[in-house]
Amino acid sequence: MAEERIGVYICHCGTNIAKMVDVEAVAQFAQQIPGVAIARSYKYMCSNPGQEMILTDIAEHALTRIVVASCSPRMHEPTFRGALSRAGLNPYMLDMANIREQCSWIHEDAAAATEKSKALVHAAVQRVKFNEPLESRTAPMCPSSLVVGGGVAGMAAALELADAGQQVFLVEKQAQLGGNVRRLDLTAPYLDSAQDLLDRWISRVEHHPFIRVFLNSELVELKGFNGNFKPRVKTEDGTELELEAGSILVCTGYKEFDASKIEAYGYGRLPDVVTSFEFEAMLKAGKIVTKAGKTPRNVAIIHCVGARSNEHHPYCSRVCCTTALKFALEIKSALPEAHVANLYTDMESFGKGCEDFYRRCAEAKTAFFMFDKHHLPAVRKASDGSEMLISMRERLTGEEIEVPADLVVLMVAMEPREDSSKVARLVNISGDKDGWFIEAHPKLDPVATTTDGVYIAGACQFPKDIPESATQARAAVARILAKVAQGKIAVDAIYSEVNPKLCAGCKTCVGMCAYGAIEYNDEKHVSNIISAVCKACGCCAAACPAGAIKVRHFTDEQIYAQIEGVL
Amino acid sequence: MAVRINPNLIDDLEHYGATDVSKCYQCGNCSAACPHSENPYVFPRKSMHQLQTGQEKPLLSSLDPWLCYYCGDCSTQCPRGAEPGETMMALRRWLTSQYDFTGISRLLYRSWAAELTAILLVALLTGAGFLAFGFTHGGSIAAYDGPNAFLPAHCIHIFDWTMGITLGLLLAINSFRMWRFTMHGEGAPKVGLGLYLRYLMLLPVHFLTQERFRKCENKKPWAIHLWFMLSYLTMLILIMFFLKYVQAGPGINWFAHTFGYLSAIGLVVGSILFLRGRINKDAPFHQHSHESDWMFLALLIFVSITGIVQHILHRAGMPMAANVTYVVHLMGVVPMLGLEVPFSKWSHLAYRPLAVYFAQLLAAARAEHPSPVAQTATAD
Repeated sequence: MAEERIGVYICHCGTNIAKMVDVEAVAQFAQQIPGVAIARSYKYMCSNPGQEMILTDIAEHALTRIVVASCSPRMHEPTFRGALSRAGLNPYMLDMANIREQCSWIHEDAAAATEKSKALVHAAVQRVKFNEPLESRTAPMCPSSLVVGGGVAGMAAALELADAGQQVFLVEKQAQLGGNVRRLDLTAPYLDSAQDLLDRWISRVEHHPFIRVFLNSELVELKGFNGNFKPRVKTEDGTELELEAGSILVCTGYKEFDASKIEAYGYGRLPDVVTSFEFEAMLKAGKIVTKAGKTPRNVAIIHCVGARSNEHHPYCSRVCCTTALKFALEIKSALPEAHVANLYTDMESFGKGCEDFYRRCAEAKTAFFMFDKHHLPAVRKASDGSEMLISMRERLTGEEIEVPADLVVLMVAMEPREDSSKVARLVNISGDKDGWFIEAHPKLDPVATTTDGVYIAGACQFPKDIPESATQARAAVARILAKVAQGKIAVDAIYSEVNPKLCAGCKTCVGMCAYGAIEYNDEKHVSNIISAVCKACGCCAAACPAGAIKVRHFTDEQIYAQIEGVL
Repeated sequence: MAVRINPNLIDDLEHYGATDVSKCYQCGNCSAACPHSENPYVFPRKSMHQLQTGQEKPLLSSLDPWLCYYCGDCSTQCPRGAEPGETMMALRRWLTSQYDFTGISRLLYRSWAAELTAILLVALLTGAGFLAFGFTHGGSIAAYDGPNAFLPAHCIHIFDWTMGITLGLLLAINSFRMWRFTMHGEGAPKVGLGLYLRYLMLLPVHFLTQERFRKCENKKPWAIHLWFMLSYLTMLILIMFFLKYVQAGPGINWFAHTFGYLSAIGLVVGSILFLRGRINKDAPFHQHSHESDWMFLALLIFVSITGIVQHILHRAGMPMAANVTYVVHLMGVVPMLGLEVPFSKWSHLAYRPLAVYFAQLLAAARAEHPSPVAQTATAD
């Protein structure tokens, strides 16, 4: 151990660290630790000059191991591992001390923070001495994909993958493809028929030689790992099929908010209060009528039903404003004598062509009433003139008003499907507080998930319109095809291993593994960990009564040294 | 009491000239551009929104349209072409029809055919009436003035006063209705007699100077309007009080006629400027012309020209031609005044100063007793 030459680098992170931690003092302290050949501080270690400094020192001082004290390893561990690789060191000869998130950002006593930084750096130096060189490996990549959900996103993805010559299995729970878009009449802002849009895709999907469609089917189990998944699909006739797919794309869509939860709107109580989807059905049938069969003189459209509310969903469902405008135009064109009132909180007619659409709608003399989302309008039966009266406080004039209505359309919010958490568990992805599936990174990796090889697209991630869903689906396809093109997948060098000589075959670890990464060898009576599936969480290693499991890069020696070092 | 929305209002106002209000998306540029828009009379934005959303009652009790002088800066600034200036103009037409208890105003504004018919009908009745009178009372068509006159000045004088009092009465009733709608509308504060007296001078001052109009950034329309108005006022005084001298002749009575000539020049030049402006659309406020605007202008020019021609014919020693022209002149005067003053454009001679007066009264009363309604409105 004595011949190890360790380089320690303390980052100022601009002022993020330096304003609370005396970085120079930490560097001087590190210089005194046995084994440390050189210790320096620098403004931004992650910058090119910062990395260059490490590279130069490795060459000049024959450094063998590196400690960087900076931000969280989640942020820049790959950066510094890259630097080590470039300098010819094994990238796992690096250890990081998190003196930003775990120190400077959370403390107010500069002296104590400096002391803590020294302790963290000391721990990292002690640990890095025990780091072992590790090598990444690769696994084969199965080129076929499983797409879960046959709505616009699912179909867009399936077609794109299949057109690229790759096999696609498309699993749809319903008896028909098309998802929620099937229920729509025309689409905003160009007023194309939703059915026409779907028909074009559906016939292509159904006849594509590379797409196998499973209708009335469900994904019931997902085994395997990135590039080598083994999904089990329960088909129409009740049989379960095991397929092989390198990638999984989840496009399970959304469902609509239950409008009866907002009592003041009278959905379910008043016959002529309908949801936007029920109104779409009216439009599709070509008949805008009240329950009594009369043509409505006044139609009121209430926006944000269940959305942008503290009680229900805090988010905006994004497509409803434009849909409401579409309704207004469709009503005006079908019933030129009718008056349309939009009761809204904010007009969010975003997207290409939609602003113009809003203008057209306004010019068709649609009235816009702004209400406060904390004081919802109330719908009640009326006795004179119109069927119903909606009372609300109009925000732009401050006036308490009553809007007459013969038909009330509720623009119900989008919400995650009731089975979304089940799907999430099946494919091992997670949902946010509202239940929408979470992407790997909201900006940099918006279609991948935290599970390698599992992607998301469409409204299962968040409310989206048709073009966005199709776009996101194709983005996911690009990610998948990039992997397929490589033909193999990189497997992380950090995983758990069973020492078969020590394993007693108790199977404790098999039940512990959250990723299904451990298989039991019935012949040899020992557990075996599939390295490509293992996430190196360490549960099995902690649980193993025989101490037969070792987590690479998190060995007992390394962790003990780190603990000793910090104390 | 909650305001019941009238979804038909926006359709109704289209007949009065508000054809673009639906384009408004409430950005508020119009109110920012308007030098008159001040709390609590923030327009045109508020009026635009009230109209778009069918808030009929608040609009009926609103003074805002009368506080706008249509310089057109708002329409120029409007990013959507919603024509706030023309919308305020349409609202003034609509308010005029709402103040009018007879319903005639509504009929005239909503249908140019009705207006044209009414003008022609009144003109024909007037013509027939004066011809019948001229031929039956013992005068001669060949005599313009003197005891034998076809239309003796003292008879016309009585007719003028009868008409003046009738029109004044009609306008007074409509003004009373305006007072009731605006000063006793929902949420209006109580205004004591003391306040009414304190601000009474606003009425003559604003009637004679149109001082508020002068606040518009472009001063030219104010100047032309004032010139035109003073010309008319001079002519009105001449006719109502000095008709005897005006109609006497054939010599020129410089004492009376100087005023007559000056106001005649004012009226002709003013009318021509208005007409040219509307034809050339030379200003934002001339971009849109309602049918009633054209008919008003036509009458104005017709009356001015025939008035001048009959005067010249009289002086030129052609009494018969002068008499015929006089009857034709009256055929323009009677429908112009009879229809325009109580039922149409000219009623603004009363409504404008009244609105300035009422607005001041309401503001003063609110300052004395801030109402909770006013406070919440400001808090928004």
